[in-house]
Amino acid sequence: MLSLRPTHTLALCILLRALLAYWISPSSVSSTAGFLSSSSPLTSWLNLQEGIYLFKRGIDPYSGGVFRHSPLYLSLSSLLPISIFSNPLFCAILFTVADAFAAYALIGIWRLRQGLRLTMESSRDSLLVAIYMLNPCIFIPSLARSTSSLDNACLLGAVMWACEACGSGPGGKSENESVVSSKRSRSKSRSLLLLALRTHLSTDTLILLPPTMMLILSQDPGSRLASPRGFVPGTKNKSTLTTPILVLLAEWFLYWTLLTLLSSLVVGFGSGWMGQTWGASFTLPDLTPNPGVWWYFFTEMFDHFRPFFLMVFSVHLLLYVAPVCIKFQHDPLYAFFILTGILSTFKPYPTLSDPGLFMALWGVFPEVYKYLRHPLVTFLTSLHALLLQPLFAHLWLSHGTGNANFYYATTLVGACSGGLALVDACWAGLRIAVGGVEGVDERGEEKEVVTQQ
Amino acid sequence: MNNRWRPLNFLRPAGDPNLARIKRRKALLSLIARRVSILKVALFIAGYVWMLAIPSSQLDRGVFIDENALQPGQVNTYWNWQQVHDADHFLSQLEFLRDSNATSEQRSQFIMNQFVKIGLSASTQDYEFTGVHKGVNGTNAYAMLSSPRVSGAEAMVISASWLSRTNEGDGTLNLRGVATVLAFSKFVKQYSLWARDLIFVISDGYMDGMQAWLSAYHGETQSNLRAQRLDLTSGVIFTAFNIDYPGHSLSHLGIFHEGVNGRLPNQDLINSFQHIARRTGVPVVLYDHKDEPEQLSWLPEAIRNHHEIKTYAAQARNLWRNVGYQASGRGSGVHGLFHKYRIDAFTMFALPATGPHGFYSLGRIIESTLRTTNNLLERLHASFFFYVMTNFDRFLKIGNYLPSAILISVAMMFGGLQVWVDAAWTKRQSEESKGPEPALMIWARRRRPVLQALFIMIGTHFFGAVTFFLLSSRWYNSISIGPLLLFPVTSLLPLVVPSFIPQNRSDSVAPLSLVLKAFNLCLSSTVISIITVLNFSLAACLAVALGIPLSADSLSSNKAVQMVKYSAYLGLGIGWILWGDMTKRMLWNWDVLGVWLLPFLCVVYFPLTLQAALVCII
Amino acid sequence: MKFLLNWLWLLAGIHYAAGEHTNNWAVLVCSSRYWFNYRHMANALGMYRTVKRLGIPDSQIILMLADDAACNSRNKFAGSVYANTGRELDLYGDNIEVDYRGYEVTVENFLRLLTGRHDESIPRSKRLLTDKNSNIFIYLTGHGGNEFLKFQDNEEVSAHDISDALHQMHQAGRYNEIFFMVDTCQANSMYSTLYSPGILATGSSVVGENSYSHENDYDVGVAVIDSYTHYVLEYMERVNKTSRLTMADLFASYDVPKIGSHPGVRSDLFQRPLGPQQQHPMAEYGRGPGWKVEGEWQGREGEQGKMGKEALITDFFGGVVSVNADEDAGDVSQFEPCDDAVLHKSLKSSPVVSSSSFLPTSRLPSSGSLYPILRASAAFLLLGGLFVFVFIGV
Repeated sequence: MLSLRPTHTLALCILLRALLAYWISPSSVSSTAGFLSSSSPLTSWLNLQEGIYLFKRGIDPYSGGVFRHSPLYLSLSSLLPISIFSNPLFCAILFTVADAFAAYALIGIWRLRQGLRLTMESSRDSLLVAIYMLNPCIFIPSLARSTSSLDNACLLGAVMWACEACGSGPGGKSENESVVSSKRSRSKSRSLLLLALRTHLSTDTLILLPPTMMLILSQDPGSRLASPRGFVPGTKNKSTLTTPILVLLAEWFLYWTLLTLLSSLVVGFGSGWMGQTWGASFTLPDLTPNPGVWWYFFTEMFDHFRPFFLMVFSVHLLLYVAPVCIKFQHDPLYAFFILTGILSTFKPYPTLSDPGLFMALWGVFPEVYKYLRHPLVTFLTSLHALLLQPLFAHLWLSHGTGNANFYYATTLVGACSGGLALVDACWAGLRIAVGGVEGVDERGEEKEVVTQQ
Repeated sequence: MNNRWRPLNFLRPAGDPNLARIKRRKALLSLIARRVSILKVALFIAGYVWMLAIPSSQLDRGVFIDENALQPGQVNTYWNWQQVHDADHFLSQLEFLRDSNATSEQRSQFIMNQFVKIGLSASTQDYEFTGVHKGVNGTNAYAMLSSPRVSGAEAMVISASWLSRTNEGDGTLNLRGVATVLAFSKFVKQYSLWARDLIFVISDGYMDGMQAWLSAYHGETQSNLRAQRLDLTSGVIFTAFNIDYPGHSLSHLGIFHEGVNGRLPNQDLINSFQHIARRTGVPVVLYDHKDEPEQLSWLPEAIRNHHEIKTYAAQARNLWRNVGYQASGRGSGVHGLFHKYRIDAFTMFALPATGPHGFYSLGRIIESTLRTTNNLLERLHASFFFYVMTNFDRFLKIGNYLPSAILISVAMMFGGLQVWVDAAWTKRQSEESKGPEPALMIWARRRRPVLQALFIMIGTHFFGAVTFFLLSSRWYNSISIGPLLLFPVTSLLPLVVPSFIPQNRSDSVAPLSLVLKAFNLCLSSTVISIITVLNFSLAACLAVALGIPLSADSLSSNKAVQMVKYSAYLGLGIGWILWGDMTKRMLWNWDVLGVWLLPFLCVVYFPLTLQAALVCII
Repeated sequence: MKFLLNWLWLLAGIHYAAGEHTNNWAVLVCSSRYWFNYRHMANALGMYRTVKRLGIPDSQIILMLADDAACNSRNKFAGSVYANTGRELDLYGDNIEVDYRGYEVTVENFLRLLTGRHDESIPRSKRLLTDKNSNIFIYLTGHGGNEFLKFQDNEEVSAHDISDALHQMHQAGRYNEIFFMVDTCQANSMYSTLYSPGILATGSSVVGENSYSHENDYDVGVAVIDSYTHYVLEYMERVNKTSRLTMADLFASYDVPKIGSHPGVRSDLFQRPLGPQQQHPMAEYGRGPGWKVEGEWQGREGEQGKMGKEALITDFFGGVVSVNADEDAGDVSQFEPCDDAVLHKSLKSSPVVSSSSFLPTSRLPSSGSLYPILRASAAFLLLGGLFVFVFIGV
């Protein structure tokens, strides 16, 4: 596979995935390998169909407490017949294309990080495509038609264009390279628009905004982990950083506002949809079991304490943003990577796509592998979680021999593996800067001398 | 700062506290690293000893009834000589059918007519398996008694298969079982206290009839089964009893409880039954073990008659049976098929004897057991599903048997991690030493070929899947020398792998075999520990078959030794293919009953051993 | 005849308990459901039969039965409940008025019943229309534990809740005296937290001890009555409407080896003596043969100093005809629901809330089905335009 051209690998993977998506029914996926973990109430395709059906019948889908997708999906549905959403061919194409685009974006991120241009090939491309397209954590939710796959594609696209937009702050070498500059500013706009869209589709994007914007503002997306020297802005002059930040935020806010207005237009200028879509991530109205750590906690909780702990859990997620962005300010892409890991472990309605995204992003940072302390242990813990989750969900809900605690225990195993991976990622990302303390030989990459006898 | 008095100061060494912490951690880790071999051996020993200790009376405990609602044995029974007379009457008619070589259809028609005469709504169902097992067909007869006072949202089943479970359906007829069900259906018709519908099923054949009936009842389609739709249906089935009475009379009642794919019924059901049967005066045994085991005759008298030894021998024999039924996934009888649909079921097996019990006792026990399950308000729940029965009134809780397999799995995991760490280092001479003294030895880090190892592993599992499709193909089953063809192919084909894999034999890259071994051990360990909750017997068998063999393999320089090792692993992994009968039976179980053993062996177990075999030759 | 009897009772009332109680009420609660708890229903029905026999009319008995054992499909004797193996006496009979049945038997309803805070729609038959001249007999049975009693297998009432409810009754002048009897596991803990005056309490077992069933009927298939209640009822068979037996006689009859648990008595809140002060076996309560531990009698010390009339069993179990018609009229107004706006609001508004949150009935602002689609299409086109603008850069 390594010797295949990236385009061939991509084509092969697309073919394989499309066939799988066409032949395997989503219900059979969500009752076996993706039991409870392939889609959440916020990303379920069935709920989306339900909402579209109600909407087309002139009934407000948000009044039922089932439909929690963004109104933008409703606008998409308006031009399409309702039957198309249950058509296997359409769904197979939609989800395969989304994943293929995400895989393409992943390659793009890798190429740009290596200092290549988007169109230039590198030897790692095929591997990255395989890591994304053939990753069970990615394709199980896709086969189950969870819209989290679309969210991932949107996010990776935003990051790819953010990488391309690096160094595009106003005033930065725009005199002689006006073409490059305009291209960069367009990439920036694309990135920000996709970010705004993703914020609409999934509120957790707010946590990923700071590193992505830092990425846009930074000089280039290349790896600076080995030489941390503070934030390296795209502009020459550090003091002018305030203006670009404000401009960026303003542009993002503009897109976001436009999308919000459009959403309101779809449902008739109401604002009830906001509580049902965005609010769901903060108020946790639907306690359907999922692979995250929230639901069990809140099913057990007395209503009296609910608001307090909802706040604690939400704030807990926000707590990581500033420290991670400050510590990895020299390499915002790495900060982004760490924050996706935190989201996949602690977000309120995760699906398998979230750990899948975190796993796939590991492929972009091969320079840290050497400094990982326990990669195999982390991998095995994830493997256990991945195998045990559907199994225990099955024991609980279809065998009837287990109970909710079984499944919750496995979600905790999953959280542990996420935590292990996060800790190791942080460690390796920082440790790489120290370099030769253990006697790493700078000349040969594999010939590090560590201890002597 | 260090001079400041702090509590527990003696625990804090002087100097930089961070440095001390790092040192302490390093010391601890190196201690574990140095002792990991011993730890591994200790875990293996502990696991195997624990496994051997499972039949001892130290680990198990007496059974008890957890569900309050059951109230077993608290009713008067009214089954009497009149009903025994009815049963005898039905029996004589059935014997006439048997003697006149009646076809399945005639038999089921007769049974249906009897049900209708009794006053129940009854029907028959034809079924036929297609594909590899084309000849399997028959006709089931069944009847329903609607609950007189509540709507029929729930049901209980009393069943008997036409063939007895004696020697796995060797052709012994279960005439008395069928007669009991017929007489019993007539008997319960008089009573109005049933809280749910009663369904009486006389299934044809041994397992196949019930499989067809249950799939049709639950609206499942099986691609190789053509089953008539059921004319009569009722609600959710909660419990089922299967009655097996092949002999003339009975001396004991045997409990058979293992279901298909290693599932077990709720223990409360079995406990209630044995409580009731013993109250009624019929001794109960697990399986058909009414005599003491004979294997101990070589032991001196004094030891043989020691209480503890006798118990151990008897319980070990029970466990052996349990492992046979559970690990193979085929279940111990017709009741096992019910478990697939979350129905708690077991078989009451009347041990053939010349006396002293018969229809009279059996009917009373069934009546009382039915009254008990009638008391249930919902499905039996609680986590009373994880147990190992060592005797009809003794069992092991999950915490007392599960760790045995888990310990072995953990030992394998440690072994794998150790190999993984070892693979990262190599010992070689330092280049820098130029003095007269011999060169310093240096531990140098080296790269590990992770991707290659992963590709090999994925390839072996893919190879296993191909083997499975070949095995289950019609072509394979139509030729008699199939095993003789397939075995050499599956065992010789992997030999080409080493020539495919570009090996970097330099000092800076770890040998592929080490990485493969590490991954192989870790994956095997994961598989074992995950299977433990699904099917403990299978996990225990895997732990025995894979535990030490996979940990012990290594690359050797001698070609001959390599080949011997390779063939040993393949013999362990795929040798069973040569026993054509066994493969055929596993295939029958997979094809007809949906038992997962054959695909599991091909797609999971065989590739694991194949990886170990490849470790020897790469 | 009945008239005459009533007059006799009136005279008796004036003579013995002038200014004390003028009417008797009984609250009988079986808080557990399911067929295998048949015995709890039989307990409550047994008490019901006894208080009715001793003269409390149905209108003054509040019977709460959490399940209907008589009509359970598992009941071989449909429509009947028996409390003994001979099945001589059908407790369900043909003259039973169950005031709260099935899922109506909740902690909330029980506490509302005691405190009298009902919704307006609750009929008089479901209210405890007592006044400051009422003697109330409260009997609880079910599955209990230390200071709680389970209701319906899904909620529980704590001893503190009951104590507070009884204290509210005291403050609202809803009783003269209460006889509080509990038959559950660890039953004595249920009365340990009471603090309102005028309450005499007894329970079937001490803390840490189970109460046991008395006997099984092998045709019914379950235990038919609890031991403690069985022996209390057996004793009650000796009592008739004119009986002069005292509470002390009842308590002294507790036979520990037969009952299987250690019943307790609490009389420190009760002002009157339980029985004759001298020469009565009650003085040695709980110290006789058979008691494995000393019988729990809270208020043993205070008993000597009590003045007044002895507490007769018929003070609680008998029927007293109320004489003061004027006061009755006044009472009725007194029993109107308390002005508890919060409770009313929650009762009234809760169904509305639940229906709106589950049924997506509210239509979009414009009811036409085409219009929202057009709007959505417009939004989609605008969205597309935005993307085209940003991505292709018109």
